Amino acid sequence: MNSVSRSRRRRLSAAAIMGAIALTATACGGGGGSGEGDTVVIGYTGPLSGGGAAYGENVKIGLEMAIDDLNADGVEVDGNPVTLELKSLDDKYAPSTAASNAQRLADQDKAPVVVSPNAGAIKAIQQINSGRSNFLISAYTSDPAIVQAGNPLTMMIPPNFESYAEEFSETAMEHGGKKLALLGTQSEYGQQWTKSITDAWSEAGGKIGGDNSVDYATVSDFAGPVSKALSEKPDAIFVGGPSQPTALIMEEARKQGFEGSFLVMDQAKLDEMATVTKLDNLKNSVGVLPVSEYEDPGTEDFLKKFAEKAGEKKVPTSETALNYQGIAIIAKAMETAGTTDDPEKIREAISEALPEVDDKYKVNGFPDEITEQGHLLNPNLEATFLNEDGKYTKVPIEQVSDDK
Amino acid sequence: MTLFIQQLFNGLALGGVYCLAAIGLTLVFGVLRIPNLAHGALYMLGAYITYFFLTTVGVPYIAAIGIAAIVLFVVGVGLERLVFHPLRNSPHTHHMIAAVGAMFFFQALAQAIWGADFRRMDTPITGELRILGAEISAQRIVIIVTAVIVLALLALFIKRSIHGQTIEAIEQDRVGASLVGINPSMVSMLTLGLSALLATIAAGLVAPINLLSPTMGDALNLKVFAIIILGGLGSLPGAIVGGFALAIAETMTATYISSALGEAVAFIVLVAVLAIKPNGLFTKAVQR
Repeated sequence: MNSVSRSRRRRLSAAAIMGAIALTATACGGGGGSGEGDTVVIGYTGPLSGGGAAYGENVKIGLEMAIDDLNADGVEVDGNPVTLELKSLDDKYAPSTAASNAQRLADQDKAPVVVSPNAGAIKAIQQINSGRSNFLISAYTSDPAIVQAGNPLTMMIPPNFESYAEEFSETAMEHGGKKLALLGTQSEYGQQWTKSITDAWSEAGGKIGGDNSVDYATVSDFAGPVSKALSEKPDAIFVGGPSQPTALIMEEARKQGFEGSFLVMDQAKLDEMATVTKLDNLKNSVGVLPVSEYEDPGTEDFLKKFAEKAGEKKVPTSETALNYQGIAIIAKAMETAGTTDDPEKIREAISEALPEVDDKYKVNGFPDEITEQGHLLNPNLEATFLNEDGKYTKVPIEQVSDDK
Repeated sequence: MTLFIQQLFNGLALGGVYCLAAIGLTLVFGVLRIPNLAHGALYMLGAYITYFFLTTVGVPYIAAIGIAAIVLFVVGVGLERLVFHPLRNSPHTHHMIAAVGAMFFFQALAQAIWGADFRRMDTPITGELRILGAEISAQRIVIIVTAVIVLALLALFIKRSIHGQTIEAIEQDRVGASLVGINPSMVSMLTLGLSALLATIAAGLVAPINLLSPTMGDALNLKVFAIIILGGLGSLPGAIVGGFALAIAETMTATYISSALGEAVAFIVLVAVLAIKPNGLFTKAVQR
């Protein structure tokens, strides 16, 4: 008995010592940033484990690629060379964790910028980013609610998803017909899309069947929901969630004999979907333009570097490409503002910095302005229609206002 | 009518998968008296191991499931030895915490080895069958047939073989079984191994019609718990009836009422059962 408790005590004290060492180590590492050439931490909080891990990893790759390239080119702020450093924390998609991560990155690591790729998390971070601590949110979400919030330190990167609905509806109606079935995912974002498409479709004079939305993450077999949607004999189907399950739904619909068109939500990427199903199953679909179809000055090099980093098999998505651009914009804004620690000045400098960004960072529809509310706008937004020959044809998209 | 037939087969296929997964869980509950919250993670691991043997090593589909099932049997035995056995005399909460820990460990392991991306497992079984006007994919027929065969073999094993009978004996009376010379430790290992093996067969069958991801077991985990509570904790017929009933209820509700309700129906049924017949439909399980 005695010996047991002694060995347990010893183990406890060993754990305590290890803990103390770990704490000291982080305390030393946290400060940083003095001596020759400043180091500036770019913070990132995103889902790196759990159901959203693949998405979070894609964003992270873009951030890493941008930071590597920028450091290689050299960033100079107010005459001093600056080294950028990425610090990532896992929030498992939980807004509350994201907010505490962001707080930690701002307080401990003095990060002037925190990247977050999820609307819920961004809304939570917006509660704390301009007050006691100040930092710019590099927001990767196409939900306009985050710019409607009127937060002075938010930079929204992707286009507003509401811009797609009208053009998607027209294209799908033209290639399919008037009757639409709804088969999107049941996430909050999926439901916003479903509503946006529903409105645009009825406005264009189409008919809409029942809402067959299912939770893509929990359904074990898509055959049931697909059979049900097809029983209404639709001409077009709205689908979308993460690329891979979306691809399975489309494959199942084609197997069950559906020949109409698909409207694919922007979360799903047609080229990424083609890695899990035959391209044949995806034809006659309107969706967002794959990164590899862009013809921006930096796209080709970006694709090469991506393949080196992530492997030939992995498909680069806009999560990676747009965040790559985003960090380049922020670095240029720091140079223009002449500061790395004043987020307000950095935010102000963005519009001046945009035309100054090197061509190599223009890879996926580069913005030429930032709205008052903080939304980066790409003047030539395009979506795509994957035609019967398996070719991506471009569909120009007119952007809607972010106001409610 | 065609829609009904179509959905009936979809429901049966889903039921087969639910059954195979639920039976393992209910066996473990019967013998070890613990809810193994890591069951969904074992199912996920089984799918990945099958994928590994099929795609990376290149063995045929059925053999890949077989090898993976054996690997997972060993993992199940290991789980019992390393996690549950040392905790056998602790309060029940400890088992649950340990099981949740094991679940996170397996998920992190899968993400470290195979990455967070979804993966697709191709099956050599392709084609469709036309049954009364409905298009049923061959894979779903295979799922239904395999589930029935495996369940029959399992019943035979438990009722006829010595090792199987020891499982039932321990379920009925742990002390009494030890007194007649059955080693409860061995039976515990055998049961957890068997449950992981069955989960792997379920995973290997369903993987080609779904996707692999480190969190693929989470949704199934909730459903199988609903099934075994519905059927009666520890009851084999309960798990079988519960599995098929729930799957068919799910597909039919989604078809004729609403998709959103289809996902929730498992839990509505669960609440109803707990209110009316708290011990489940088949109350064979010894309650102590």
